Amino acid sequence: MSGIRTKKIGLLSTLILILPIFVLVLSLTIGSYPISPKNLLKTLASGIVSVFKHSPPSIYHDIVFRIRFPRLLLALAVGASLSVSGASLQAFFRNPLVNEYILGISSGSAFGAALSLVFLGKGFPVQLAAFFFAVIAVLAVFLIAGSSDAPIVSLLLTGVIVSAFFSALLALVEYFANPYALQALFFWLMGSLSLATWREISLSLPLMVLGIGVLILLRWRMNVLSMSSDEARALGIDVRRENMLVIVATALTTASATAVAGIISWVGLIVPHMVRMMVGVDNRRVIPLSAAFGASFLMLADDITRGLTSFEIPIGIFTNIIGIPLFIFLLKKSAKVWL
Amino acid sequence: MNYRAAIWLSILIGFFLAEAFPQTSRDASVDNKLIITDSLSRTISIPSKLERIISLQPELTRIIVSLGGGDKLVGLDAFLRRYDALFKMYYPKVSRLPLVSMTGADVNIEMVLELRPDVIFASPFEFHIPDSLQNKIRKPVVALASMGRFKSLIQEIELVGGLIGQRERASELIQYFKQKIEFVRNSVASIPQDERPKVYLSFWASLTKTPVFYEPVNAAGGVNIAEGLLPSFLGTTETVIHLEEIIQRNPDFILVQGNFLPEERMVTVEQVLQDARLGSVKAVKDRKVFYTFGFWSWWDPAEVLLETLYLASLLYPEKFGQINLEKEGNEIFKKFYGMENGFSLLSGILKCNEWNKN
Repeated sequence: MSGIRTKKIGLLSTLILILPIFVLVLSLTIGSYPISPKNLLKTLASGIVSVFKHSPPSIYHDIVFRIRFPRLLLALAVGASLSVSGASLQAFFRNPLVNEYILGISSGSAFGAALSLVFLGKGFPVQLAAFFFAVIAVLAVFLIAGSSDAPIVSLLLTGVIVSAFFSALLALVEYFANPYALQALFFWLMGSLSLATWREISLSLPLMVLGIGVLILLRWRMNVLSMSSDEARALGIDVRRENMLVIVATALTTASATAVAGIISWVGLIVPHMVRMMVGVDNRRVIPLSAAFGASFLMLADDITRGLTSFEIPIGIFTNIIGIPLFIFLLKKSAKVWL
Repeated sequence: MNYRAAIWLSILIGFFLAEAFPQTSRDASVDNKLIITDSLSRTISIPSKLERIISLQPELTRIIVSLGGGDKLVGLDAFLRRYDALFKMYYPKVSRLPLVSMTGADVNIEMVLELRPDVIFASPFEFHIPDSLQNKIRKPVVALASMGRFKSLIQEIELVGGLIGQRERASELIQYFKQKIEFVRNSVASIPQDERPKVYLSFWASLTKTPVFYEPVNAAGGVNIAEGLLPSFLGTTETVIHLEEIIQRNPDFILVQGNFLPEERMVTVEQVLQDARLGSVKAVKDRKVFYTFGFWSWWDPAEVLLETLYLASLLYPEKFGQINLEKEGNEIFKKFYGMENGFSLLSGILKCNEWNKN
């Protein structure tokens, strides 16, 4: 790699890594309630240190710290989680078309959410049920495929089978659901960050951070795991253990993100591709940069849904709408970049 | 707001088209046939006197029963049997009638043919169903709904009354309905618009789902803060509002749809009162967060009246505080369904006596 290219990649990587900070600040200014930049700064400052003589109205505090901040933090964490999971699984399966939901996580969590909303009531929170069944789906994939070092194709196909099974169960629950629960379920299935609260963040963020952290720590081994198992073993890698770690960490990350935000598609597919277009295919860079870029991507997507209309458009719809043309564009532009 | 309007111009066009849905009319009578235009602007020829009816639309089912045409119903969808505890009490036959559909969209064609209906009433929401069903069974399928408007509800009662040979009964109910609504409207007519309380409605099992039009609030002298917003779902009155919009519009009252069994409630008054994000909203600060009946996709004509009276008493206790809601409610249910103590029963099921204890 030439020195100029290395420098360019280094610069781009730095920009991508600091991008979420700028997007977060920009996003704090966007919302239905008009808050001038001056008042926003005052509110932020007063939220951090309460030494200001003239603190801004409490309504600003509520909007910034109770509505915008939790929502943006959730967008940041979910965007990072889905992107890192997508990038890791693409490396693991050596397949650029794999997404973060390939192991049945979306169908499993959707079924869990449905079960909670339709039958279990408030005693069993939607997020908990979604997480629980996402994990069950991944375990089912392992059990059916045989083990964590089962052939890649077996795992992929088993993921498809488990997804189909949970989709069928979801359809069954939907059929018997009362219309009230069905409405809530449809809204959840479309993915939304609109009801983010500090409570939800405090429950899901540690799991997402843990999963992302593990995947970032494993990033250099993903390059080795991208080779054949024999080659990886020859390089001294315990393939079975590493495979297990990657799958458990991606399952944890995706399941905790999906449980709290619903199903937000395409992020784990397009973000890693965009990152690879910019910095190449080395997973040591792709994994952490996917986290940063995915966080920025989802915050920006959410900004558009918050700023465009007076009503809430579920972000899952939006990522679908922009994800598909963007993916076609990337596919045409970067057909040779991936491998 | 201009850029929003420009961006959503195409959606507005769709909305106005959707607004045409409630326009129902009886156009002409030819021999023993009646030509009517339904809520989907379809022109349909139906027998001028109906003896066998399948109704997949709960609002029309209730109207048919209230007009005394319950014995003409030969098949239903599952909604009322499964989710309306009160309906079973004033129309016990519902548990014996064949269910031809679970959702209104999955009709069992062979069962329909076996039941030999003169007409099928369907919902305009599943807009692909009426034509497809009509083509298959070669019987008229009429899609009607009031879409939450008094005028359309009255038109429905009038139309159905004519079709089942109960014109007088329909006139009687319409007269009663209008008289009650006018009483409330006239009582609040002198209140200037800017002095009317602002109301936010949390409906459809979600804090942020709200109707952009809800006539009982207007009739009771309130201002729905979501009125004029674009609906998220075209052809409906439903939108999903941003929390910041609620704070900005700062309602005096927040009303949570309470027409659920207590264990089915996804949003509760207590949750709203404790929601720190809404702490600066006037309704929360003043603890004016209450349950209300609301509606699902379908109205119950008796409940609409009750809702309007209830809202009036909530928004203007000084004017309507003397109204005995239980007595009024029982009278309304008796008038529509011939049922004694109907409201008391409903109130017991929904635990209305526990609604507004803040």
